Amino acid sequence: MSEALSSAFTIAAPTQISIALAISAILFSLGLIGFLCRRNLIIMFLCTELMFQGAALAMIAFARMRMDVSGQVFVIFILTVAAAEAALALGLVVLLYRRRETLNSEAWADLGES
Amino acid sequence: MVPILFYAACAVASAGLLLLLMSSGGNAGHDGQGRAMRAVATVLGLAGIAWILVVIVQAIPVTNDSLGQVGLMILCAFISIGSAVRVITHHRPVFCALYFVLVVVSGAAMYVLLSAEFVAFSLIIVYAGAILITYLFVLMLAQQSPADTKGADAVDYDRVAREPAGAVIAGFVLVAVLGGSIFGGNHTTARAAADQALAVRGAWNDLARMPRFLTEQARRVDASAIAVVRQPDGQMLTVQPDFSAAVTVAHADGSAPSTIILPPALLPDNTSRVGMALVTKFPVSLELAGVILLMAMLGAVVLARRQSEATAHDTPREHNS
Repeated sequence: MSEALSSAFTIAAPTQISIALAISAILFSLGLIGFLCRRNLIIMFLCTELMFQGAALAMIAFARMRMDVSGQVFVIFILTVAAAEAALALGLVVLLYRRRETLNSEAWADLGES
Repeated sequence: MVPILFYAACAVASAGLLLLLMSSGGNAGHDGQGRAMRAVATVLGLAGIAWILVVIVQAIPVTNDSLGQVGLMILCAFISIGSAVRVITHHRPVFCALYFVLVVVSGAAMYVLLSAEFVAFSLIIVYAGAILITYLFVLMLAQQSPADTKGADAVDYDRVAREPAGAVIAGFVLVAVLGGSIFGGNHTTARAAADQALAVRGAWNDLARMPRFLTEQARRVDASAIAVVRQPDGQMLTVQPDFSAAVTVAHADGSAPSTIILPPALLPDNTSRVGMALVTKFPVSLELAGVILLMAMLGAVVLARRQSEATAHDTPREHNS
């Protein structure tokens, strides 16, 4: 039905989109697992970036499904927020490192109320 | 249709990840037992991911996708999930950051496969080019001295995972719930065709919002066209059933406006659609993104200044004591 359509507009590709959605779910939960498991402050923030990747991939997949660019525009805003977050979080990490001379997140366990 | 198989595949992959997380730490670090555990974990994890992909491909009855693109997608899936696992299991932070670059690059490849070229390249520029370099710089700044590692190749808190079992169970539940929703979909040929029609209609309507671009495209069909005029019903263009579009154009020689057909090959490309959506649909968000970046810059400056003041105060005290 769509001989004349350019390759970018061939029929909605459900297999590719489903695979992309599964990868995005797996990437997101790998980021979650890493955030819970790792004890290095920098790696914990790297794992939140992994979760950003998962969310952005889901946006792109849904944008492909409807051929609507709003999802892609949302990913551009995700990139903006990720850049701002990296600048601030890494500044904080360096500040924390100067105080305790370690990147171990458990060095800050006494911040709790107990 | 068969989410139970999907859950089983997820469980296999999670078991592999759990073994990998537990083998990387503690006493099982470098002896033969640890190596055997890691081999078993890798096989389990790869088998689990392959099984997940097979279940998903089988669950979609409509196979309009080209086989080559699905194959590339699966290749990207293995690269990106494999390096994401290395990000969370590798015990040297610099290697974690480098594996994250691999996740970003394979993610960009998937964006290209999903026809989001502009975002793919901005992802590489912003993530691999800017954010990851910042991470690497901070890793160098906050590097542990070799004396702290006590002969091992990494410090303790990088080798031993905290609560791997609980984390893996949480991740398994998340993937099972999120991924299981794929199987509730209504994947029929009619649905795919309806999606397609909706998509092409949306793309033509994006073009209709750009009168100058629309005129340029019309000129490729009819060289004497100077402007696209509104049709009697107020629309700039009418989408035909075969996905071409009819527009009414005015001519340079002043003859009466006539209707011409634009073939689908003249649809706007990804970059112009993204740019148009940015400035027409989301102008407020665009301004807010600028404000966020400005605030982040100010915040980083304030953090850095306080830090240098603190070191300036600390240094004389150390000399006195």
